[in-house]
Order: sequence, then C-alpha cells, then structure tokens
Amino acid sequence: MTQEIKTVPFTYEALSQLEMKEGILELQIGPAHAGSGHMRILAWVEGDTVVKVDPDVGFVHRGVEKLSEDRLYIKAIPIVERPSLVDTVNANLGYVIALERLLGLEPPPRAQYIRVITAEISRIMSHLYGIAIYGIFMGSSTVFMWAVADREPFIDLLQELTGARITYSHIIPGGVRWDLPKGFADKVEVALRYLENRMKDYEKVWINNPVVMARSVGVGKLSSQDAIRLGVVGPNLRASGVKYDVRKNDPYAAYADFDFEVPTFKEGDSYSRLLIRVEEIKQSMSIIRQALKRLPEGKVIYEDYYKRMSPLMKEIYDKTGRVKFTLMLTSLSPPKGEAISRVEGGRGEMFYYLVSDGGKNPYRFRLVTPSFRNLPYFTHVMPGHKLADIPVIYGSIDYFPPEADR
Amino acid sequence: MSDQKTPRKSALGEVKGHIDALATGFKYFVDPHRMTLDYPAEAMELPKNYRGFFRLIDEKCIGCSLCEIVCPSNAIVMMQLPVAQPPAPKAGAQGSQQAGAQPAPRPAPRVKKRPLVDWGMCIFCYFCVDVCPTEAFEPSNIHDLSYFEESEYRPTFEGFLKLPESPSRNSRKVVARLDEKNGIRYEEKGDKE
Repeated sequence: MTQEIKTVPFTYEALSQLEMKEGILELQIGPAHAGSGHMRILAWVEGDTVVKVDPDVGFVHRGVEKLSEDRLYIKAIPIVERPSLVDTVNANLGYVIALERLLGLEPPPRAQYIRVITAEISRIMSHLYGIAIYGIFMGSSTVFMWAVADREPFIDLLQELTGARITYSHIIPGGVRWDLPKGFADKVEVALRYLENRMKDYEKVWINNPVVMARSVGVGKLSSQDAIRLGVVGPNLRASGVKYDVRKNDPYAAYADFDFEVPTFKEGDSYSRLLIRVEEIKQSMSIIRQALKRLPEGKVIYEDYYKRMSPLMKEIYDKTGRVKFTLMLTSLSPPKGEAISRVEGGRGEMFYYLVSDGGKNPYRFRLVTPSFRNLPYFTHVMPGHKLADIPVIYGSIDYFPPEADR
Repeated sequence: MSDQKTPRKSALGEVKGHIDALATGFKYFVDPHRMTLDYPAEAMELPKNYRGFFRLIDEKCIGCSLCEIVCPSNAIVMMQLPVAQPPAPKAGAQGSQQAGAQPAPRPAPRVKKRPLVDWGMCIFCYFCVDVCPTEAFEPSNIHDLSYFEESEYRPTFEGFLKLPESPSRNSRKVVARLDEKNGIRYEEKGDKE
C-alpha cells in the first residue's frame, strides 16, 4: 500500500490538539442512521482527507450478557440471537455449544448435520445482507433490493423448518428442536440453484461492474500483518490473505466431515472484501449439498433425553419430529466450571464464555462478537483516505452495530 | 493455496463490463422479478407450523406453571381463577393422559392456575408450547393482529381461550413458490394444498 496512514495517538490531549489545529474539521456522521446504522462516526478531516476516525459505539447496547445471567440457561437462547439478527443460527449455535461443553453433552450426528445446514443457510443470508449493505452504501439501491429479496427463499426454507422468519431458536442443548420436514432437500436445491443463476446477474450488474471496481479496488487496504496485529476476524481477515476459519481451524458441529475451501484474497481492499463474500456463498452451497447428501438417520436429540420424555412427548416426536421440552431441559444446572466455544459466524468468529456455579442461571456469560473486533477498520484503515471513501470502507466490512454493541 | 487475486480489467474489459451491466439492467427492466405482495388485499398462506398466535385449551391445562417458568420474555403470568364446578371428572381426564400416574382423589381445589400471555411481550419462541406436558396450547399460523382501541388489546383469560381474528382472514390467499429461474412467485392457493 502506498498511502502512509497518519497515526494520531488516541488520547484526549491529542484529540484536543487536533481540534485546535487550523484547517481541521470535525464531522459527526450519525448516530441517527445517516448511513452509519445506529452508531456515530467522528471523523476529522483536513480538506477532503480523513485524518482521524473515532467510531462511537454503544448506542444499541442491550445488555445481552447481563440479561442472560439473570435467567435459566435455556432462556438465554432467544437473547443471544437478538444482537445479530441476520445471522441468528450461528449466534444460537455458539451459545449452545458452550452450554453443551459445560453439561458434557454430545448431540447425535443427525442434529449436528442439521445444525451445519441451518448455519450455512444463515451464512448465505448474512453474506447476501453484507453485499446488500455494501451496495446501498455505494449508492446502488438495485443491488440492495436484489440481495435483500434473494434472502427471501432462504428465509422461507428456515421458516418451513422452524416456523419463524428470523429468530429461529432452533438449536437447543443436545440437539435441535425440529427435524427436517419431508422434501426439504429438494427445496434447498431449488433455492441454491436459483441463487447460482442469480449470482451470474450480480456479477454482471455489480461485481464486475467497472464503476464498482473503480470505486473500491485499492480502497481501504489492510495488509495481512496488520490484520493479524489488529485482530480483525472473519471474511475481512481472509480478504487480507490470512487463511483462518474456525470451521477449519477448530471444527465444531459436523464441519470436520465436509470438504470445503477457505477462500482468501491477497489485496485486502474493499473490493476483495466484496469478492470473499461471493466466494464464501459458493463454499456454503457446497457444504449444504454435501450435508444433505450424507444426512445421517437417527434422532435429532440425544438418546438419554428421548428416554426421559413422557409417552405423549415421544408420540409427538415420532409423528412430527418436534422435540418437546422436558423438565430436565428447562431446569438445566450444569456442574461447576467454565466453558468456551467459538463459531464462525457470517461476519467472523463469535466467542462465547460461560461460567457455571452449579446454579440454574449462568454465573457469568461473555459474548465477543465479530463486528466489534472489526472496529480497527475505522481507526486504522479509514485515516488517509478521502471522506467519500468512508462509506465504501464501512460498507465493505459488513459492520453491524447491534452485534458490536450486544 | 487458494490465494486469489482480484481481477484487473483492461480498457476493452471495462467496455464489456459496462455493456454487461446495462444489458442485465435492461433485461430486468423488461422482465422484472417483483415479489411485492399487495397486503392486506392479498396475504401469504403461511406454513402450518408457522409460530403465530396460540390459544389455551382450558380442559387440557393442568396449571403446572412450566410455561411461565420457561418464558424468556416473562410474557406469561399464571392467574388464579375461581373454580365454579367441582372439577373431579376433569382431574381424572387429565391424569389418564399423564404418564400412567393416576392422582389420588383430593378435595376439590377452590382456584385453578391458568396462564395468560401478553402479546405485546411475547416473542413467539414457542418455548411454552413445547414445554407444555399436556399440549394445552393450540398453535396457529395467524401472525397479524390489529386493534382499534387499547382496551381490546388488554389480555384477558376469555380472550386467550380463542384464537385472535386475523385482519387478513378474508384476503385473497396466495402461496409463495420458488422457481430456480424466476425466484419467488406468488400463486393463488390451489385446491391440492
């Protein structure tokens, strides 16, 4: 990268000196969703060049951690879904894996496969949303409308499986709540083929469009060393050339069984961050197809749990594949200890830390979300660029304020 | 290594890129894939398992409070209702559905505990429906609800015994069909459904 980033030390003294310096203008972008999405970006510009950027986060903080510590373990499932509403399955999965590690449970293989299928559908939806946000930030409402509308077939799929459009609450400790309905694989195949067809049009209208390339190639570069040093995660890290994916490096659920690539790009600019999402959608499609082809038979909840169900509950499960909650599930009290889990969410690594004191509520719950870890893009990548590049960089990192604020 | 390089375009490639984008735009101008639904004139027929409003089947409820315990948003409160008639036959009917354990005849309770859901707080996670040991909640796929006055909205036990009336109940029902070429299309609900 040719541009040298002007670094201003991040202290209040330095800030006030900066404000007093002649010719420097402080700009407040947001927080009323002025293309910033419930966050404020404080930008100091000299002429048209950004000197310093300070992301002001926390406007949509909802206290997910403390809310969860106040409730039964199972009640935290809908709460952990709420921060990242476009990627709820992965958020749910990470929490449940941490809880299962505390409890010492191992879900049956069919449940693991269903988790992978739903998580990958969720990843496709999240990446489509990321592409949509990138589009609208660069002023193209066409690609925004397209990508948001193309999430609809996948929302419909999960709606048929779980009965909800976004907040599925599908994954519970020990398995999943609903078995796949009949004919689900065929419907998934139709949706995947539709998206494949549609991706060709995306490439023509958006991805290979010279206007987009002129606007984003070389903008917002982050080298691989800097990406590692600053601790960015997910597709943004891989766009900087670092081959790191939790699904490969620390496989969870049934990801070890599947054959998929971790695409990386060398440049680390905004354009490669767009391309990496397109490539990852292709990989997710491949994982879903493999999982549906090799879907094991069996129960979707672990055997011991099934044995403890009442006859009525067993009858319902056998007939419809719906797992009823037993008293055991509602009053989980894991033994004393702590557990961590991490999953590769749509925006990157989600980290969960659960401490149990043997009671019915979590003693401590910690959630580290990928959007928060991608904040260095504001402080370290935006300075040195033109003011008009801020939306491009912001759109390209797929930053989601509610997820960062938790 | 799958380390890829982002493609660079020659001048000719740029011209082709512009033409491709415009041609695709024109294609969708001629044949747009609109998926807007004219709600409430027409409404989508949701799947049977859609997590919508549900009602309480009073005869099945045993007042165990599990739904109140499991509700993540604390939308369910257990009410104490006076019992009008001696509930002896009802207790027997409940017991036979339970796992074999027939409760010994007890003096008839004066009050019964029944859940009440505040729809303003409910997040439709269906934990309560799934936790109910006697399937006393009857789910439905009604997802839309509207009131003229606040008093109509206030949850009452009588209101919870019947399913709410959907404002789109008389609309033209359509189903979403996915086509691998054209995406989602809304079709009239056929007879085979």
